[in-house]
Amino acid sequence: MEQYDITIIGAGVVGCAVAREISRFQLRTVVLEKDMDVACGNSSRNTGMLHAGFTYAPGSLKAECTVEGNQEFDQVAKELDVPFKRTGKLVIGFNETDRANILKFKKIGEINGVKGMRMINREEMDKIDPNAGGEFAMYVPSSGILDPMQYTIALAENACSNGVKFRFGSKVEKILREGDTYRILTSSGEFRTKWVINCAGMYASQISEQLGYPNYPVRGFKGEYYVLDKKAGKNMPIPIYPAPNEKGGFATHATPTVDGNVLVGPDSYLTDEPEDYKTTKEHMDGLYRDGLKMFSEMKREYFIRNFAGIRWKIYNPSTGENQDFVLESDDAHPHTVNLVGIESPGITCALPLGRRAAAIIKEKEQPDNNPSFNPCRKGIRRFSEMSPEEKIHAVAENPDYGEIVCRCETVTRAEILTAIHNPLGVHTVTGIKNRTRATMGRCQGGYCETRITEMIEKELGISETDVRYSKAGSYMFTGKVR
Amino acid sequence: MLREFICIMCPQGCALQAEEENGKVLEVSGNTCPRGKEYAIQEITAPMRNIATSVKVENGELPLASVRLTGPIPKSKIFRAMDEIRKIYVKAPVKTGDIVIENLLGTGESVIITKTIHKI
Amino acid sequence: MRSVKEVSVAIIGGGPAGLAAAVRLYDKGIKDIVILEREKMPGGILRQCIHDGFGLTRFKETLSGPEYAQRFIDMAEERKIPYITDTTVLEITPDRKIYAASKNGILEIQAKAVILAMGCRERTRGAISIPGERPSGVYTAGVAQSYINLYNKMVGKEVVILGSGDIGMIMARRLTLEGAHVQAVFEIQPYSSGLPRNVEQCLRDYNIPLYLSHTVTDILGKERLEGVVVSRVDEHMQPIPGTEKTYTCDTLILSVGLIPENELSIGAGVTLDGRSKGAVVDENYQTDIEGIFAAGNVLHVHDLVDFVSREAESLADAVAAYIENGELRKCSLEVETDTNITHTIPQKISGEKSFLLSMRVRQPMKNCEIVISQGGQIIKKKNFKKALPAEMIQIPIDAEKLNSSENLEVSAIC
Repeated sequence: MEQYDITIIGAGVVGCAVAREISRFQLRTVVLEKDMDVACGNSSRNTGMLHAGFTYAPGSLKAECTVEGNQEFDQVAKELDVPFKRTGKLVIGFNETDRANILKFKKIGEINGVKGMRMINREEMDKIDPNAGGEFAMYVPSSGILDPMQYTIALAENACSNGVKFRFGSKVEKILREGDTYRILTSSGEFRTKWVINCAGMYASQISEQLGYPNYPVRGFKGEYYVLDKKAGKNMPIPIYPAPNEKGGFATHATPTVDGNVLVGPDSYLTDEPEDYKTTKEHMDGLYRDGLKMFSEMKREYFIRNFAGIRWKIYNPSTGENQDFVLESDDAHPHTVNLVGIESPGITCALPLGRRAAAIIKEKEQPDNNPSFNPCRKGIRRFSEMSPEEKIHAVAENPDYGEIVCRCETVTRAEILTAIHNPLGVHTVTGIKNRTRATMGRCQGGYCETRITEMIEKELGISETDVRYSKAGSYMFTGKVR
Repeated sequence: MLREFICIMCPQGCALQAEEENGKVLEVSGNTCPRGKEYAIQEITAPMRNIATSVKVENGELPLASVRLTGPIPKSKIFRAMDEIRKIYVKAPVKTGDIVIENLLGTGESVIITKTIHKI
Repeated sequence: MRSVKEVSVAIIGGGPAGLAAAVRLYDKGIKDIVILEREKMPGGILRQCIHDGFGLTRFKETLSGPEYAQRFIDMAEERKIPYITDTTVLEITPDRKIYAASKNGILEIQAKAVILAMGCRERTRGAISIPGERPSGVYTAGVAQSYINLYNKMVGKEVVILGSGDIGMIMARRLTLEGAHVQAVFEIQPYSSGLPRNVEQCLRDYNIPLYLSHTVTDILGKERLEGVVVSRVDEHMQPIPGTEKTYTCDTLILSVGLIPENELSIGAGVTLDGRSKGAVVDENYQTDIEGIFAAGNVLHVHDLVDFVSREAESLADAVAAYIENGELRKCSLEVETDTNITHTIPQKISGEKSFLLSMRVRQPMKNCEIVISQGGQIIKKKNFKKALPAEMIQIPIDAEKLNSSENLEVSAIC
């Protein structure tokens, strides 16, 4: 049985951020993940916004962590080599109702500590983005866009290089208190640990209950998205949001991604199923209709893909009100940290939450600092982002940089090989995709998927029947033809 | 009895009608060339097809070499032909036109390589 | 190291279009050419099209795809036409400079003329917005064909096919021969989008049903595909509620259309035709960027490779003239169509040169007449017993009948 000081349940962005912050200390730490990679749930199913924090209730953990996470992210992106642009955001309005709602949230933002928000007129909007609709806008300079998969991977890889272990395919089935330790039964075997940190995302309420905390009532707000071709993103320098309603909710919007695509969505409807990621004709049609109204590049020829994500919010069954994030730890539940209801803006809040979780453990355990802790991690060097001179040098140094495997995204063999041999030991096709962008382009792997699966087989010495698309049961081949 | 089918002799795909009685073809219409008539008669009396597949290659730059038959064989023998071809493996190099099975199932047709595979 | 190379003609893509153009250019005396191919070997998509039926027009025999390609490769090699494989073009500039990457470095080529011959790609699940889960086991027909015929990997056992494109039907037969069970082919249109002969020899021969006016409306399975829901569609191609039927399967093959691969063309500033999804070209196959030409599937999707190689040869004739004279006749007349025609190639003419007019009809037509006229004056008429969207129509137009002042009008009349 593997033994650890700290066991983190869940390798979403929150679990990985907690792992990274705990790796600052000399503690034996493991992350248990039921799937075959990090960010398999909602960490990879969102808009990729670094939120500013003007729609969250003043004094809430959400507001506090958002503003903190936002302010530090230039540094974080640099340390962890995460694709990030502080684009700012325009919240646009057409009429006086819009203006009133915008001003309401501007004030909340100011109380929360969001800096630099200001109302601008059409003339100033034209300087920022002449294609933006609306008569006036609130300009929020601190908003930004990032790649949420790369960010989660970066946190995990940094934690890993600082000593944290990752165990994929390890679904937590039971947690038993035995003396001063916990015994955790998982689908891959048993783990003994002193501390348990619940970062189980959509399953956090169940884990919470197993640890003796309440089984918090949660509701799933599901949203669907369209991913559009980079051609649609050419003239979209900044995310544009419609004016919020009085509760701070936004209607369907179009957001550029840090790689230059456009996301249209999410819409919002309730779901009960934890991993209800299926897309539906009804909602895809709705997104198309709404998208057409506000975004001139909403063209069918630009459709690349659809996906869905779910925000699992804690709510109060008697009032129906949604609740703040829960981060708790007390002596009645010894050696546990319980994180429940961490939904949007979970990406922005992940590190601040991780820091708070680590602080609780630091206080109790008084651990030594990890002497070899390095806050920095390097991502895979992208050929497509090199200057012409750099490309020449890269190919001269490593000829694999001269072999283009993914044509649409210009991803080279060198990048795919680095991804296949990633420090976390992930080798699903989706894992390679999230690390390199290969297969993410307009042909969706039509050209490169055959090459990537062949490389996975050859590099790892596995048979074609062992190649997985994403999940454990997602085999791609039934055998050889001959 | 009137039988209708699409001619497969060329991409034009003529819609053929053939009047048939006791396995004998009385009249063919719908064809734009003589091959259509031949096809219709053959289709009713003894339908024939060509097939294409692959054989395993050892030490080749590709794992498979594509093959086809030199000419059509009775349709009823297609799956037996596949069974025979499945048993074959070749060693690189192989050249387009190389024969891998002669007189397949006594049909008089051979299985030939259709892609040159160099040795690695 | 940076190597700069100057050539008369650079050909992007070593498939049938690129090879045919190269051979013809060489025979016309333009020998300073280079073919750039991203794969290890030339031949393009034909390398994976192992079925027979190619080359009936040109070679008067029925060849498999690899054999057809080999004929052209042999011709290119006999002439010692240089081709560079394992080399991906990254960029083409409007002044015909080409940047390409290979393991040997970044190649820079300055060409007097560039021939775009990159072929096409397949439409995907995302492009046609099929709802549902996202399991493994959903493949486009070409990808499945590549896995089975080139990579020796079998993609599944219980198969449903969406789309009756030719590759989809050919894969229905191919999968059946390899022991998979193909349950059915579903087509959203009320007619097959592939050739009738493929319905006959790929589906009927193997008792695979083809359901017209049907589409996949849900994909089931969170890990590997477990099934698809299929619905009948109305005349607006919208699923009819209550007609859903679930098919248990582990594999879904999509054969839902091909799109010319024009990313490099766009980068070079070439104007595309929203209808053909390829470049707007004139009777010389020249795009609106001088010295950049296009032919084959990158220009418009063909159903027969013989048409591709023939088109590439006509292009090569024009390119040879361009290299010799430094320019070609200006083409300012438009080719206009009625709504029964989806698009034509070329889209522009001079009215002073004979050319081959290619087109497709929008929907199946019986006993129709294609009428080509200029300023109300009929230039050519051709009757068709049947005209199908799956079959490209080609009509030669004689320069002597044309004037050089009025647009050309093409209509299909029933």
